[in-house]
Amino acid sequence: MTWEMVVGASVFAAMLRLAAPIALAALGGTMTERSGVTNIALEGSMLVGCFFGVVAADRTHNVWIALAVALLAGMALAALHAYASITLRADQIVSGMALNILALGLTTYLDYQMYGTTGTPADLAAVPDLHLTFLNGIPYVGEAIADQNSIVWASLLLVVALQVFLFRTVLGLRWRAVGEHPRAAETVGVDVRRIRYAAVLASGALAALGGAYLSLGVVHSFTDGMTGGRGFIGLAAMIFGRWTPLGALAASLIFGYGNALSTSLQGATVGDTKLPVQLLGTLPYILTILAVAGFVGRSRAPAADGVPYETEGHA
Amino acid sequence: MTVSPPIVEMRGIVKVFGDLVALDRVDLVVQEREIHALIGENGAGKSTLMNVLYGLYRPDAGTIALRGQEVRLRSPRDAIARGIGMIHQHFMLIPPLTVAENVVLGDERSGPMLSEGALAARVRDLEERFHITVDPTAKVEDIPLGLQQRVEILKVLYRGSDLLIFDEPTAVLTPQEVDELFVIVRKLRDEGKTVIFITHKLREVFAVTDRITVLRDGRNAGELETTSTNASEIARLMVGRDLKRPAARTPVPSSGPALEIRGLQAKSDRGAQALKGIDLTVNAGEILGIAGVGGNGQSELAECILGLREPTAGTILVGGADVAHDDPKRTRERGVAYVPEDRRAEGLVLAFSVADNFILGRQDTPPFSKRGVLDTDAIRANGDRLAKEFDVRPPNAGAIVGNLSGGNQQKVVLGRELTAQPKLIVVNQPTRGLDIGSTEYVWERLLEERARGSGVLLISSELDEIRALADRIAVMFEGRLVATLPAADAAEEQLGLLMAGHAEAASA
Amino acid sequence: MTQLQEPATTGPGAERPAPSVRQLTFQFAAGPAIPVLSVVIALVLGAIFVLFSGNDPLRAYAALVQGAFGTPYDITETIVSAIPLVLTGLAVAVAFRTGLFNIGAQGQLLVGALGAGWAGAQFASLPGFLLMPIVIVFGIGGGALYGGIVGLLKAVRGVNEVITTIMLNYTIVFVIHWLLQAGPMTAQNAFGTPASTPIGAGARLPVIIPNELVLFSRLHAGLFLAALAVAFFWFLLWHTPLGYRLRAVGLGARAAAQAGIDPARHMILVMAIAGGFAGLGGMIEVSGVFGRVYDGFSSSYGFDAIAVALLGKNSPLGIVFAALLFGAFVHGGAYMQSHAGISSNLVAIIQAFVLFVIAAESLVRSLTRRRGARKPMEAIA
Repeated sequence: MTWEMVVGASVFAAMLRLAAPIALAALGGTMTERSGVTNIALEGSMLVGCFFGVVAADRTHNVWIALAVALLAGMALAALHAYASITLRADQIVSGMALNILALGLTTYLDYQMYGTTGTPADLAAVPDLHLTFLNGIPYVGEAIADQNSIVWASLLLVVALQVFLFRTVLGLRWRAVGEHPRAAETVGVDVRRIRYAAVLASGALAALGGAYLSLGVVHSFTDGMTGGRGFIGLAAMIFGRWTPLGALAASLIFGYGNALSTSLQGATVGDTKLPVQLLGTLPYILTILAVAGFVGRSRAPAADGVPYETEGHA
Repeated sequence: MTVSPPIVEMRGIVKVFGDLVALDRVDLVVQEREIHALIGENGAGKSTLMNVLYGLYRPDAGTIALRGQEVRLRSPRDAIARGIGMIHQHFMLIPPLTVAENVVLGDERSGPMLSEGALAARVRDLEERFHITVDPTAKVEDIPLGLQQRVEILKVLYRGSDLLIFDEPTAVLTPQEVDELFVIVRKLRDEGKTVIFITHKLREVFAVTDRITVLRDGRNAGELETTSTNASEIARLMVGRDLKRPAARTPVPSSGPALEIRGLQAKSDRGAQALKGIDLTVNAGEILGIAGVGGNGQSELAECILGLREPTAGTILVGGADVAHDDPKRTRERGVAYVPEDRRAEGLVLAFSVADNFILGRQDTPPFSKRGVLDTDAIRANGDRLAKEFDVRPPNAGAIVGNLSGGNQQKVVLGRELTAQPKLIVVNQPTRGLDIGSTEYVWERLLEERARGSGVLLISSELDEIRALADRIAVMFEGRLVATLPAADAAEEQLGLLMAGHAEAASA
Repeated sequence: MTQLQEPATTGPGAERPAPSVRQLTFQFAAGPAIPVLSVVIALVLGAIFVLFSGNDPLRAYAALVQGAFGTPYDITETIVSAIPLVLTGLAVAVAFRTGLFNIGAQGQLLVGALGAGWAGAQFASLPGFLLMPIVIVFGIGGGALYGGIVGLLKAVRGVNEVITTIMLNYTIVFVIHWLLQAGPMTAQNAFGTPASTPIGAGARLPVIIPNELVLFSRLHAGLFLAALAVAFFWFLLWHTPLGYRLRAVGLGARAAAQAGIDPARHMILVMAIAGGFAGLGGMIEVSGVFGRVYDGFSSSYGFDAIAVALLGKNSPLGIVFAALLFGAFVHGGAYMQSHAGISSNLVAIIQAFVLFVIAAESLVRSLTRRRGARKPMEAIA
């Protein structure tokens, strides 16, 4: 094991690359849970965004349309969840699980029907990397950030934007009120339903962007189930990040770092023993458990999170 | 000079919930710039009437006129738009947001961006006008309940309310905070506002109000000028009803105390001090009635005895042993039975059968289980026997308890609790919501237990019930027992005064 | 003190009652009517979907049925697929009965598989009558431990079990990666995928259908273990005081608490029991099917288990039928793909619809209940 393997610039670059989809999912989760709805179908939204982005890129050869389609797909799945959770007041966990299964089944099914055994085409319209050539001379930092995908930068911007939105705007204030005490918000005239619908749809779009990043930004193809649980890591990052966008980013970076380490330390040894790099994969999950159990600071979700809201039965 | 119409005139208001007539042609007239008290016991209809005024409920009959104009209030938004504001008993505040944010939420009057500074300044202006002080930048979850109430008041003032309705405002306040509230209320009146106070506490009525409307059992019981009435008259109007002659009872020779409580203190779920030092004794073969309007610590008292709430100080002796810190299992092993206030949520497992509910808590003991196996035949037989003995209708032990009527459900609870030959029985509102037949049945059984030598702690807000059953009566008010007297010595009116906080009546 | 620990967080789903346990086990609608209806609706939705994607739903379903039940071999394969679903279904159902949502059946199954796989290899030389019980104990024990952690966290720190179970599911996957790829359980094998040392012959569950009856059948004695587990589930819940207490906590935690039944203690117990069921399922997979622990086996039993439990209304017979149904989906789906050219993932889609309909249906139930019952007591005064 070398120092380079742990804090080298390439590790830092990998951290950013790996953190981006997690952060996007975490942002989505933060937005819905802040409004009081639990959406564990982020994985599903991410996957459909991943897949339908590829399909659209294949058919239209236009990366912008592909991205739009990806976002719409994610939002469509989220809309089902919104309808079930908000209007039907069904159990949000069961609905979320159902949608995750649906997303996986659906995308795998369509992948088979459309691309059979040959796989997705190799020349897909892709989301370009952002080459910051002016950083090329700078040691470390240059190598780390000079060639990240545009979506990575977009997600950083989104983190900032959503942080400002939640904590510095009127709508953000109402959003948070709805997640903490919807009845109190309703009595002062805030439209609980509308905000919650918007929140769930937004989460679908954000997660889908993360998915599109994976398929159109990184590997330029689609394989079944390629989101590989990143939606759930995003949920973990949201919890670990205390339900704030900045926290979600920080958590995603930590988790991304762990992920990057597990690759860079592949086969590394300390003395004679091989490092158990596979265990690094447990990092996000163990940290999250510690956080929710209160061992890592005080963690408090929005008070009305996950509880279906019933308007008072007045005449 | 023309007399301006009353700011609120409610006439003939009727509100029915299923079988229950909550309001039966109630009238309320409030003049502008008046501080008006709406007073009555629990269940009298005060909150319901105000909920109608605030647009939360639509009346089934009757009219509402605001400043002489008849209106239909469809929702709180309507009411707010017309200048009516409610300060709820259970605050509608968002704990992690600041005071200023809570005040302006929903009506922020700013562009899309929020400026904390501007918000705080606006709230400070409001505070100055009405002499209300609370830090606008503090988070609501960090400030005490008394200050939180001020935030509720500010919310209402911010929206330009002219009529402020306070629902049991002093329930969670310290005496100091209550005085401060009165100052605020008077200032509000000086600034041209009208105030309606929903309360059952006479002290408040005489401290700040101008006129009083008394409700009883969903009907008007009286309209008075505060200065021309007195506590006794109000108490009589509040509780007066046909006295049921208490059954003639022979005193039971006592074998010592079944329950002794000394210096009991405990906090409520909201963190306020619910019990402020309770001393009481229940002797074997006696019924001690704890009279009082709900919310004065009765539930907390029952929960502490049972082990469902941890007291902060004091001892609870049952059969000589201190159970204050025991869990319910241990406490019950000492022979304590419990009939909780909410039979549906606390007393019964609604989805279980009658037979299964009869053995709740005793499922591990023979004959209901032997060597780790449930004896369903024994459970069924027990269920049949008890259903008959306790007059459960229909006497089908396999019926699901959730489908039974309230009275029969309560009989199941009694059947379970009383068959174990308890030494101490704690009952809280045992006949709430029950029909006459079931009520009489419950009373009979409790008297039987008393004759058998159990001690009974009867907590009830129904004076009828207390008068019918208790040997001695204690009145609970704001976490303290303000008096304990033999039943024979307790006059109805005196009890009413005590229940309303008039402690001087104790020595009448 | 029996007061439930104040939750450290009120995170996703923290204060909710477990879905459906109140509605589904409350006897308002009789028997299998609603679950059957849910499946029918889901099949119809699935057919519509197949149509829209340009295929023939009749052909698809015919292939599905053919694949699941067409030949005796297929029937035994369907049962083989159903067996782990029965056990994980029981794992989810028993927790639901106590008011907890156990999404961790997947992880608990894996830990059980690990335990069984390790013990079976470690003591491989022992004869069957000794080794088999050992392996069973390790399987159940491993799962029980993993489930118990969840219960403990909930009881002591108030942590929502939905979060912990999801996190633990993923955690064990990575631990297995390590154990099999680079850790103490690595072994050589002909397939290239990381796997553990094979378990001893004494730990293998024998195939119970001789080749003369059904050629190459894989139906193993795990079937009996599963049947025993179902019987145990039934007996535990309705014929033991512990089961009574678990159900009381699930249906009326406050009433149970005031009667002296400690909800916290029972949460720990039930999660351990649930884990035990799932762990047994893992052991059966190792002993009956694979003979060793493979990296990445058994990918979706955990989530299917939730559908099985809900569809089966958390009751023994219902779970068996639901598990058979899903087993048929799994096995028939593979046939459908190879013979009718329709992706086996149609099955997953149908499954998702089933779950969705169930989620929505419990709302219908609660709506019809709410219609009669106003809340007069809270409304007045």
